[in-house]
Amino acid sequence: MPSYATIPTVDMVIAENLVKTFPNPDGDEKRAVDGLSFRVAEGQIYGLLGPNGAGKTTTLRMLSGLMAPTSGTASLAGYDVASQPQDVKRVLGFLTANTGLYQRLSARELLIYFSRLHDMDRDAAHARAEQLIAWLGIDDFSHLRCGALSTGQKQRVNIARALVADPPILVMDEPTLGLDVLSNRVILDFIKRERHAGKTIILSTHYLDEAETMCDKIGLLHDGRLVAEGDLDSLRAETGERRLSNIFLKIIHADQGIGAAGA
Amino acid sequence: MTFTHRIRTIYVKELIDILRDRRTLIAMIVVPIVLYPLLMLGSVQAVSYQKEAMEQEALVIGVAGDRHRIMLSQLIQFDVVDLTREKARLDPNSDEAKVLVTPLGDAKIQVFDSQEDLQQAIREREVPVGIVFDGETLVDSIERQVKVDVYADYKEPRGTMAGRRIKELLLRTNERLQDSRLQERGLPKSFLEAYPVGTVDLVAPSSILGQVLPLILILMTITGAIYPAIDLTAGERERGTLESLMVCPVPVIDLIVGKFLVVTTVAIMGAALNLGSVTATVYFGGFDRLIASTGGHVPIAKILFILIALIPFAVLMSAIMIAVCSYARTFKEAQNYVTPVILAVLIPGGIAALPATRLEGIMLVMPVGNMVLLAKELLLGAAVGPWDVVMVLLSTTLYAGAAVAVAANVFGRESVVFSDAGSLRGAFTRRMMKPSARPSVSMTLLVTALLFPTWFFVQSALSPGVGETAVGLLYGTAWLMPLLFVVLPVAILTYWKVDIVNTFSLRLPQVWHLVAAILIGLSAWVPAHEINLLQRSLLGTPEMVVQSAERLVEVIKLLPPATTLLILALLPAVCEELLFRGFLLGGLRASRGMWPAIVASAAIFGVFHFLVFRFAVTAGLGVILAYLCWQSRSILPAMVTHALHNTLGVLSVTKPEWQRWVGLHDDPDSTTEWAHLPMPLILVGCFVLILGLYLASRPAEPVRRLPASLSSQQ
Repeated sequence: MPSYATIPTVDMVIAENLVKTFPNPDGDEKRAVDGLSFRVAEGQIYGLLGPNGAGKTTTLRMLSGLMAPTSGTASLAGYDVASQPQDVKRVLGFLTANTGLYQRLSARELLIYFSRLHDMDRDAAHARAEQLIAWLGIDDFSHLRCGALSTGQKQRVNIARALVADPPILVMDEPTLGLDVLSNRVILDFIKRERHAGKTIILSTHYLDEAETMCDKIGLLHDGRLVAEGDLDSLRAETGERRLSNIFLKIIHADQGIGAAGA
Repeated sequence: MTFTHRIRTIYVKELIDILRDRRTLIAMIVVPIVLYPLLMLGSVQAVSYQKEAMEQEALVIGVAGDRHRIMLSQLIQFDVVDLTREKARLDPNSDEAKVLVTPLGDAKIQVFDSQEDLQQAIREREVPVGIVFDGETLVDSIERQVKVDVYADYKEPRGTMAGRRIKELLLRTNERLQDSRLQERGLPKSFLEAYPVGTVDLVAPSSILGQVLPLILILMTITGAIYPAIDLTAGERERGTLESLMVCPVPVIDLIVGKFLVVTTVAIMGAALNLGSVTATVYFGGFDRLIASTGGHVPIAKILFILIALIPFAVLMSAIMIAVCSYARTFKEAQNYVTPVILAVLIPGGIAALPATRLEGIMLVMPVGNMVLLAKELLLGAAVGPWDVVMVLLSTTLYAGAAVAVAANVFGRESVVFSDAGSLRGAFTRRMMKPSARPSVSMTLLVTALLFPTWFFVQSALSPGVGETAVGLLYGTAWLMPLLFVVLPVAILTYWKVDIVNTFSLRLPQVWHLVAAILIGLSAWVPAHEINLLQRSLLGTPEMVVQSAERLVEVIKLLPPATTLLILALLPAVCEELLFRGFLLGGLRASRGMWPAIVASAAIFGVFHFLVFRFAVTAGLGVILAYLCWQSRSILPAMVTHALHNTLGVLSVTKPEWQRWVGLHDDPDSTTEWAHLPMPLILVGCFVLILGLYLASRPAEPVRRLPASLSSQQ
């Protein structure tokens, strides 16, 4: 276990002034992300929170290289998202809530396939798949086609899929959306475990109690901008509220007030 | 993992995935295996049943007036008597007795008031056939002939059948009358015929199979490609698996190539199963007699051959389908895109399937059409030259390659992966485009692939007819080459905001690269000449090549030297270099490194010269020119080399004495201009060439790049 006191922290994820605009059908542009900058230190869980449409998913997609930023830069583990996309994809495990699985492959086949796509040879791919099947409790249904799995089972397979290459950075967009308590617990435990193994994790969630217990640092996104950032204690001090949900509401309301005044 | 490993991984996974889909299996296996026997059994039985029913139906014959009714029934009576006598004479089990036509004894005669009424009744299909006699009695008289007309709607099966039966009756009675007249006068039967006329049908026994089967198979191959193409592209997006695929460290081109190979495999498997099912139905169902006209068996070797000829077609169709479906986000959208494509494909395919269309001229490079024609010609046993086959395969490879490149460019594009990232229109709306330093591989290949048949068409439209000189071709080329090779790419690049200076390598070269270009331009003809000789002695010279060379020589001698040099040396040097070493090589630079880009651009350069015979030399020259351009980062040295090389070619015609100087043509009357060069000259030429290439191999000094901010504003 490395001691954070002796090793200087490294920022594994750096976003600088990210902007993403989408063309509207009527010709003008919608700014989904508007000059967003933040850093995530190695071994931390960073919670990206915000109401629907705040730009969380767009931000995560830009970080993963799925979308090109309109302007601004981002780097993961020192690799630039725009100019070194293949390297970025190698250090990143990416998970979204609505990710589909190949319905006609079994869970095991799917994990082996993605391991192979991450440059593993046949033996290594099989070994890694078995390891993940054991860790995430997929054993019972690993032989079933993914089309036949329940939501919770699918999400476990999906997390395993994101982890095949054992990447140092994990980006998880609502990993526990719509899950039952049991699957929820398995997945949250797994995320904690990955954090203890030294992974850098960006977690986007709507479950604020989850964020409260899991995240080392929280960034609040509203209208594509970061309106507050810090650990739970500093946010509490800033707003005078205890519970994250109240902190959240207070900051959003304050920002809306500014926005309304400005308009 | 290497490129091939990755592609194999993707291929195996996608194949398993698609073969586990019930819909694929139904479309691929159940449909052909169940549908064909049923269709064939059903339609064959329906046709024969209908035919039988019509034949057994009592015939109704219309006449105008009672007088004609009596005449007709007399005729029928004669015939019945004759046929009965004939039947009695013959052994009832003999073949002749079996084919004896049923007499029209049971025919009903319907009387109409006038000829007009009769015609009306036939038109309204009240009666199938009518008879009109040009007279009131049937007399056996040589002086007065009674003309008999058979009225029927010959477009209609019932009318055709009835008309045929009546005509047979009339011919029989006519013949008997003839026979008896000849007998009376003691003349032989040959007295009446100056010469007997016969028709011998040389259609191969399997020709019906040959005509229809390629069309069915082509349709089946297209259908076979559609479903997997949609499932593997738009299906990924619709099921939400595309995002996780795109975050894998795998280049998109690998994904597309793997998917494209799966679509091709499924299309070929589907075609093979269809073919097998048709063959089996014909073979075991006893339909071979109905399909092959003279009862021959099904030609297995030919069927295997069809399957092999189908592979390039399946490759092209799969590439096109993958490209089209990559644009779609949903199954439904993909189906909408596919329908017009099928129609567009069926037009050249249909033209090719017409009996009169031959594999020549523009049809050689017509996308899809040339493959259909090749299969048809081979199947019908027509002679196809090996160069034509090469041309068809090369052009098809170019089209398929362009389609795959387009697919790779589109697949996984932001606007396709995410529905909220704006419509695909963004890819064509200039306002939304970002400036780029060079064109994408897919854009270059697509433009080149479209330019290819256009250029071929221009050349064949301009090519001189019999007795004309090639002056028209030369002047036409002089106008159209700059337009198609330079203006068109520049316009496209400008629209897409691509940096033109960078794409075309419009920079000043280093001095040594110019020296290298001059050395290569002065010496490249030496090995080119020897390679041509070698090829000639190995493969012979096609007549076409000799003719076109002769025409060119004729024109060069006809026009002023300055004009020929301008049109044949300077113009191609500038235009072809800008297209092949500028636009094409510039676009390919972005893909897989130096040599693949150089080889691909040179191969396309070779194909563009149409004469497959000269492919080796042209492509070889293409490699050298591309290398020169790559190393010097400037288009100029390649232009210099190209211009010098062509100038020497023109001068060798206008100044024949030069040929003597280099040791060819010792005898001025000799027409063997294809002698070997003297050994010292070969050695010197090769030495100069190698020296030039050595000089060219020194890479250019780093370019003084414009600051990024400046160049992006262009």
